[in-house]
Amino acid sequence: MAVSDIAASDIVETVPSALIILDRNLNITSANRAFYQTFRTSADETEGCLIYDLGNRQWDIPALRTLLESVIPHRASVEGFEVEHDFPTIGRRTMLVNARKIFRPGDHDGFILLAIEDVSEERAARKESKRNWQLTQSIVDTIRDPLVVLENDMTIVTASKAFLTMFGITAAETHGRRVSELGQHQWDVPALRHLLEKVLPENKPIESFEIEDDFPGLGRRVFNLNARKVSQPGNNAHRMLLVFEDITDRKQRERDVLSLTNEISHRIKNNLQVIVGLIAYEAKWTAAPCVQGYKAMQARIGAIAQLYDLISQSSRGRTVAVDSYLREIAKAMSASLIGNMSGIDIEVKGEPLEIDPDRAVPFGLLVNELATNAIKHAFPHGTGHIMLCVEQVGDQIELIVADDGVGMKDKGSAKVPEKRGSDYVAIFVRQLGGTIVPSKQEPTGTTVRIRLPLLLVPPGGAERVAA
Amino acid sequence: MAVILIVEDEVFIREMAEMMIQDSGHHTLSASDVDEALSFLRSAQHIDALFTDIYLKTLVLGGCDLARQAIKLRPKLRVLYTTGNYVNDKMKALFVEGTQCLPKPYTQYQLQGCFAALLAA
Repeated sequence: MAVSDIAASDIVETVPSALIILDRNLNITSANRAFYQTFRTSADETEGCLIYDLGNRQWDIPALRTLLESVIPHRASVEGFEVEHDFPTIGRRTMLVNARKIFRPGDHDGFILLAIEDVSEERAARKESKRNWQLTQSIVDTIRDPLVVLENDMTIVTASKAFLTMFGITAAETHGRRVSELGQHQWDVPALRHLLEKVLPENKPIESFEIEDDFPGLGRRVFNLNARKVSQPGNNAHRMLLVFEDITDRKQRERDVLSLTNEISHRIKNNLQVIVGLIAYEAKWTAAPCVQGYKAMQARIGAIAQLYDLISQSSRGRTVAVDSYLREIAKAMSASLIGNMSGIDIEVKGEPLEIDPDRAVPFGLLVNELATNAIKHAFPHGTGHIMLCVEQVGDQIELIVADDGVGMKDKGSAKVPEKRGSDYVAIFVRQLGGTIVPSKQEPTGTTVRIRLPLLLVPPGGAERVAA
Repeated sequence: MAVILIVEDEVFIREMAEMMIQDSGHHTLSASDVDEALSFLRSAQHIDALFTDIYLKTLVLGGCDLARQAIKLRPKLRVLYTTGNYVNDKMKALFVEGTQCLPKPYTQYQLQGCFAALLAA
């Protein structure tokens, strides 16, 4: 069957738009099923009526009247005439009216085919979308950091006032352009482009992508870029929010602090080098039995210098992260293991606790002393395992330094340097206000447990215990 | 017996380094800055190794620049850096390939050990 075989009446009854036929006097001669359904009316109430008399005369609109009355005499048509009205049976609706003149064979006056489409939902959605967009734009303009909203194809949909002000451009200059095309192409960085391309398809946000460059009118600036996917509930279209945080001042402060830290570190280390040099000079003219003592002194000065570096690396603002501090100590000690001691490995198990920087040096020296003892005495064959562990036990902290070496068999007959080592351990423990937990004699290995008061605090913990 | 050029702007530290190196039987040459060191390196003087501080006077990375220039002048020169600053990856990237850094404060044993390994390589 061909389309031409289908009767016109079948088509009229099938289409979803409400259709009515008007004669030259604008009386309704017939209407389709969709019309009766849409306006919840019947053929009896409709046919023969003047269109303007329908319902509560909602179609009696002067502008529509002018249009309809010109259709037959002037062979005009009405297209997309929008009527918003409270219809008695269906409530407030927005209707789109189209009309054109049609002819029946043998009838020279002609008729008007009027198609009425209910576009209420579409118009409401459009209004809602406009309202949302205005809301989004006002939020975007309120945020102090410059930002842009990007379309799927990376073109700019909108830029915040802060963005336009900072970069001295107009909204028209940004709309529809790619970020990489702006200014002097400062944002045209392959790594950034690569990351931006992943934000929408892979929902992979960009966190703190740093760009430093000379910007026209701004001078040298450092920006931190953050991007994420934004979507509206019920809407499949996704967009990307790209925020430009100006971190120039912060970066400069960080650089100043770093430069000062390096300068101080350089002076401190040079002073320590002078002390180590003086000891070296004295050791040169000292009898052999005393040289060991000078060596031990130099090693401890070296340990303090090393801890100084480690503290600055592990520092998180006002506190030092114990877990990373222990890892740095283990790394430094492992690096110093050479030759016949290279088979010793040092493992760290540390809870994420923080330590007051004032206590970090005695704490580090304590760990250093215990681990050095293990390295020196536990492994006569040069292989073994040392574990450095810090955990919170109730309201105390337990530091454990354990090895799987030969153990302490002759504790009472410690030689003088070892005796001094254990004296230092006792001093550091006292300095930190802690106690050494008596350990059981084990067939192999040595475990030293030290309980310290809560001078270490969990991350974010406000409690700080006085000395 | 090797000839080692020591570049250190602190006089006492430089002289202590000379003593430590000479005690292991090597000859030393001394310079207090980049220019002085380069005049040795550009001369006909035999030099086996360069021992340089990284922070030289006002030049934060003066030792790194010096070592790069030194290797251009003498490609077979061995290099050992020293510094009082923390050696991060950014600083390591500036080192001449295959070189080491001995952090301050170093002892005579560490310095002598480093040169024994460096000159044997």
